[in-house]
Amino acid sequence: MSKATAQPKSGGGGGLMWLQGLACGAMVALVPGTSLLLGVLLAPGLAALVLDRQPGRPIARSVLLFGGAFCIGPVSALWSAGQSVEAALGIVGDINSIGTAWSAAAAGWFMAELIPLVVRVVLEAAGVARAARLRAARAKLIEEWGPDQPPGQ
Amino acid sequence: MAIPPGSAPPAETIAGIYVVDPTRPLPLAGGGVPAFAVTDRRTGRTDVMALQVAPHVPARPQHLQVLTKPMEGLLTPLAHGKGPAIGGEAGYFVICNRPPGPPVSATLQPWPESALISLVLRPIAHALDVLRAQTLTHRAIRAENVFQGQPGQAVVLGAAWAAPPAMHQPAAYEPPYSAMCLPAGRGEGSLGDDIYALGVLLVTLAVGRVPMAGLDEAAVTRRKLELGSYAAVVGDGRLPPGIADLVGGMLAEDPDHRPSLKILLDLTAARGRKVATRPPQRAQRPLQIGHTAVWNVRMLAYAVSSEPEPGLQVLFGATLMPWLRRGLGEAALAVRIEEMLRLRADRGRNSEPYADAMLAMQIVTMIDPLAPLCWDGLTLWPDGIGPAFAVAHAADPETLARLESLVLTEAIAIWATMREERSDPGSLRLAARQYRGWLQTRGPSGGLPRVLYMLNPMLPCGSTLAAGRGVVGLTDVPAALEAAATTADRGAEPLDSHTVAFIAARSDRRLTMDINALNVTELESRLVSQLRLLSELQIRFDPRPLPALAGWFAAQAGPLVERWKNRARRAEIATGLASLAAAGHLAPMLALIEDHANLAADSDAAGLAASALERIEGELAEIDGGGPGRAVVATRTGQEIAAGMGLAALATALILAALG
Repeated sequence: MSKATAQPKSGGGGGLMWLQGLACGAMVALVPGTSLLLGVLLAPGLAALVLDRQPGRPIARSVLLFGGAFCIGPVSALWSAGQSVEAALGIVGDINSIGTAWSAAAAGWFMAELIPLVVRVVLEAAGVARAARLRAARAKLIEEWGPDQPPGQ
Repeated sequence: MAIPPGSAPPAETIAGIYVVDPTRPLPLAGGGVPAFAVTDRRTGRTDVMALQVAPHVPARPQHLQVLTKPMEGLLTPLAHGKGPAIGGEAGYFVICNRPPGPPVSATLQPWPESALISLVLRPIAHALDVLRAQTLTHRAIRAENVFQGQPGQAVVLGAAWAAPPAMHQPAAYEPPYSAMCLPAGRGEGSLGDDIYALGVLLVTLAVGRVPMAGLDEAAVTRRKLELGSYAAVVGDGRLPPGIADLVGGMLAEDPDHRPSLKILLDLTAARGRKVATRPPQRAQRPLQIGHTAVWNVRMLAYAVSSEPEPGLQVLFGATLMPWLRRGLGEAALAVRIEEMLRLRADRGRNSEPYADAMLAMQIVTMIDPLAPLCWDGLTLWPDGIGPAFAVAHAADPETLARLESLVLTEAIAIWATMREERSDPGSLRLAARQYRGWLQTRGPSGGLPRVLYMLNPMLPCGSTLAAGRGVVGLTDVPAALEAAATTADRGAEPLDSHTVAFIAARSDRRLTMDINALNVTELESRLVSQLRLLSELQIRFDPRPLPALAGWFAAQAGPLVERWKNRARRAEIATGLASLAAAGHLAPMLALIEDHANLAADSDAAGLAASALERIEGELAEIDGGGPGRAVVATRTGQEIAAGMGLAALATALILAALG
């Protein structure tokens, strides 16, 4: 039964991958310059997609989003220059463009790593404060309702 | 010297009038019971005496209650109550007029017939007639307890109220069926027993010596059974003819054959009356049972009852039936005994507990219907079982165990059924069932102590706490416990089983619920019930403060205070108890402890607090164990935030690009 239900999913995932591959192939065929530029500028994000094995690929998502934000300018410039492969190679050859895009991607990775730590610290601090309040309340209750002498004494 | 009426009576004054002087004993005045000089503090008269009631030997309550007026020829009780301590124990005394002179036993010499009749027979018969009118017996008629002021004066019958009936009677003065009983178990008896004793007294005074002097009690009884009472008592003595006829009837073995008081008071009728009592059939040779050489069926019954083990061996042996048939010509009796033995053998001789004792009792009753109840070597009349219990409880555990088994088997009912024409089986069956019920009542208010106090209305409480303090009634309990509380172990409970049984036996129905409430195993409930019972006693019988007893309860009240869960309330209750205990009133302490409304509110609040505590503990556990969970949440949240920031950056870039 589980096999029977797993097979269509697997087929569906494979179908999606096939569609994604088809879309990428179509994109490379139709707009090779843009594809080349995005492939280079978003290379860290694409690498993160491969390396990030977490469900939903949260790190890759941050890296792609941050990197994507800084691809808007070069892509706009490419489209202004006629979307040719040569223009794309020219932009790719500009260290500023690549540096900015890849730095943004790095910032995305850094944020994806740092912010959970910050949140964890905040949550732990809140827990400690709550535990202190609860312990105080517990001590008060025991003082008010507990036995006069602990058992065994 | 009379004491002014306004002055307060000394603490040990009996009935507020009589002051006992324990340093002035009156030898011979008590007729076998210690007697002491007494002063009447109203009038100053000293012609009264106090008879000491032994601590474990109850007085006769019915006589003390009924005989309230002085009587001619009888030392009636004037009052009774606690008096000065003697030998470290609180004394209990019965006040009577002092005898007019020494007992007639002091100078025994033959009395002439006329003096016997006018100075002895008539006055004593008259006194017995007055007692009979009140359904009472005397049961202490003997030379040591009959007094004469001056020669030629009528004798006065001494007191018989400070000990169980006939307890101090020598066997010579008692019918053999009373003499064979436990001294304390002879019971109230009947007028016939008093007439028998009066007959022996007449013989004693007629011949000038005590009959069968020098023989021990058992030998006297055996001699009476062997020869018949008249022959045994008179022996070779020479009686005046009129007295001999009279005494012949008075010493009849069967009480129904003894002359009535009317006959004794009318000598003409008495002299014309001849009682033809058939002497017991005597065998040619005796049958030996234990220490007794049995010559007739009465002795057979006596031997089996007094020595049941050898008696049963003979019953189951081969010698008895030929002896009965050929030696005594009692073939019918032999057949009945054989039938009973066969029935027993069919059921198995030891098929039931106390089977041998039951068999011996039934056979003795069959052989001699006049015989008292015999049980496992004990002999007693059923109405003497109370004093027998009391005396055995004080000093004779073996007898006590036998009496317990007698009650447990309801042997009294079986005995009464076997001799219906001579007893009241209905009332005895009821009594036997009631005794057994008391003995089997569970809890501190039942068992042996309950039987002991129910059957002896004047027996003082035998609790170790009350011992020696003369606790005879419920009014004495609070003060006795107060005195005991000053020295008692504060770890023990204030009411032990003897005290509870004593209170149960002496109390009315209003205290029944409080007494029954003591039958619980939980210490807290038991302590509350004890406090409630004692506070009732204090309110009803002795409202004086009892600080030591209250302090004892306060010291025991830890578990009761612990019922309050709120610590501040607990401290408040403990402080309140201590201050109330110092005041010595038990009812406010009970009210403080048994404040059900506050206790319920405290319990509800404690429940809420417990719930809150449980919730806090849960939350703390959750916090302590929630690290991994929080890490997951932090990771997910942080990554979402990062993704959100990236999305914001992308949107911003797109907007900027769109705006050019």
